[in-house]
Amino acid sequence: MEKITIPIGPQHPLLKEPLSLRINVSGEQVLGGDLRLGYVHRGIEKLAQTRNYVQNVHLVERICGICSHVHTTAYCHSVERLLGIEIPERAQFIRALLCELERIHSHLLWVGILAKHIGLDTIFMHTWHDREMVLDMMEELSGGRVSHAVNKIGGVRFDLDEKHGPMITKTIQKLHNEVEKLLDIITHEPTIKARTRGVAAITAEEIRQYGVVGPVARASGVDMDMRRDDPLPPYDRLDFSVITQTSGDAWARTVVRVEEVQESINLCEQILKKIPGGATETRARSRVPAGQVTTRAEAPRGELFYYLRSDGTDKPARLKIRTPTLPVLSILTKQLADIQVADIPVVLAGVDLCIACADR
Amino acid sequence: MAENKAKKILLSIKTEIGAPCQMLDDIQNESVLEIQKDHLREIVEFLLHNHQPIHLTTITADSMESDPNQIHIFYNFWKGEGFTLLTKLNQNDLELNSILDLIPGVDFYEREVAEMYGIHFANRENTPSLLLPDDWDQKPPMRSQVKE
Amino acid sequence: MNIINHIFRWAQKNSLWVIHFNSGSCNGCDIEILDTLTPRYDVERLGILVEASPRHADVLLCTGPVTRQARDGLWQIYSQMPSPKWVIAVGSCSNTGGVFYGSDTVLGGVDKVLPVDLYIPGCPCRPEAIINGLVMLRERIYPNGRE
Repeated sequence: MEKITIPIGPQHPLLKEPLSLRINVSGEQVLGGDLRLGYVHRGIEKLAQTRNYVQNVHLVERICGICSHVHTTAYCHSVERLLGIEIPERAQFIRALLCELERIHSHLLWVGILAKHIGLDTIFMHTWHDREMVLDMMEELSGGRVSHAVNKIGGVRFDLDEKHGPMITKTIQKLHNEVEKLLDIITHEPTIKARTRGVAAITAEEIRQYGVVGPVARASGVDMDMRRDDPLPPYDRLDFSVITQTSGDAWARTVVRVEEVQESINLCEQILKKIPGGATETRARSRVPAGQVTTRAEAPRGELFYYLRSDGTDKPARLKIRTPTLPVLSILTKQLADIQVADIPVVLAGVDLCIACADR
Repeated sequence: MAENKAKKILLSIKTEIGAPCQMLDDIQNESVLEIQKDHLREIVEFLLHNHQPIHLTTITADSMESDPNQIHIFYNFWKGEGFTLLTKLNQNDLELNSILDLIPGVDFYEREVAEMYGIHFANRENTPSLLLPDDWDQKPPMRSQVKE
Repeated sequence: MNIINHIFRWAQKNSLWVIHFNSGSCNGCDIEILDTLTPRYDVERLGILVEASPRHADVLLCTGPVTRQARDGLWQIYSQMPSPKWVIAVGSCSNTGGVFYGSDTVLGGVDKVLPVDLYIPGCPCRPEAIINGLVMLRERIYPNGRE
């Protein structure tokens, strides 16, 4: 059959972000594809050099609205390393609490989007409704549903008070029950299994060659999680399991993420039990001594890498950010080979793209 | 943070390949080995052969104000700990051998460094624009470091 | 206004179909727009559907600063929409460029490219603010059921 190229994007119903794909098909069989990024390139690394360290906390938060907190955590941690200060333990725990809540909301968001693309709108409505509980908690703590402005250089902006602990505990228990039901649906519901089992499988060897990280890597059996491997405090004092699967297909990626939500719920409970008293911030100078530092953090989508160089002034000399979606995108074109046209939404949704992160 | 694992790997490069290189401690949280750009492929092949599984996080490029004629290219790796291969390029010789055939995932990183800093990667097909718009007609944006 | 125009305006007001285009956004405003579809906010009770094709849409919801690469796509979507059409700039970035103003690859707010009818501020704007904006637009189209 004749080979045709279908251009998709930059506006398309599949994703809420602009991305241009050129997919080569022959009948219903996809032969391969090409992608063009850059629609969301805002030049953040260059902008960061023209603003001071405090302004950059707000800039970096807006690289991605879904994983905003982990970006500011990695950035503030890098600046604090260069300043040679360590933030109080209570602030570390509050940062971790928001990180885990963010992971929960990101994964639930993604499960809803995948369900929408499979055609199961009901699951989309249910998961996003459950996700509202997480956003309510984040709003109660920080004042913002999506953009929290929790971190500052030297600590966090607010403190938990005595009503927050019981409120969070009660809400995450309710959420835990809902997620149990969701996991049950995903593991047993025939439609989801039919649409995702065996679709776009990636082997562990391919994961390593392409440097893929995050739940996509863990779904193929590559055991890598920066919370355990290069922990930012206080993760070195918390117990959690790293979830892996072996089949590497869209179904495995779904299961890994839903089980990670449960792990994050456990982590939130631990954090609330172990959080010490004390201050939530420490003084930080505006001029950062010259030096270079790297930081790795575990964003909801995988390993987030920050390289920061200071030249002794109040503006960074170089800020390099490598977000987890970038290596995942590089394997995407490979995944688009050997599938049917109707599976394209499942493949695209299955890797949980965040083009805003990738383009910066 | 103990950096023994990473340092051991870098020292093994020094002893087994014998290429001119030196350990630096410029970057916090990362062990750095400065190498010559001609030995880059040999060293990456050695790492892939002897130290699998190894994960390439990214390629970072940076131009230092202290020496505006040089651009530093960092190959950031991860194996239990972070370690970096650093190679310095001179202004008039901004060419590096591509390692795309050794690590397929390096494609996007090389393309980004190429368009942002004007580095040319040899032995691979052209590096098409990754992030910059199609109608970008100015010089590589990260080369003109503006401080206001 | 004659009776036919009354009917048209009333119909437009009560079934505004919306298309959403992200021209460089961080996704914050986009997920809040998607949130308006979910059970808690349920914008569908106002007759508002999110459509995939520009040819079916009355309103263009823009998020994000306009990047140089996305400018043509934005213009093409707008030009494919049939008249009468309206443009809503959702969020600080599409109002003015937001925190990315001054970058070489960012042109600024949506009004650098398209005529904007309504600006909704916020970073990101809450679903309530988006619904409020849509209700204000409805009132502008057919205020209180009379001309």
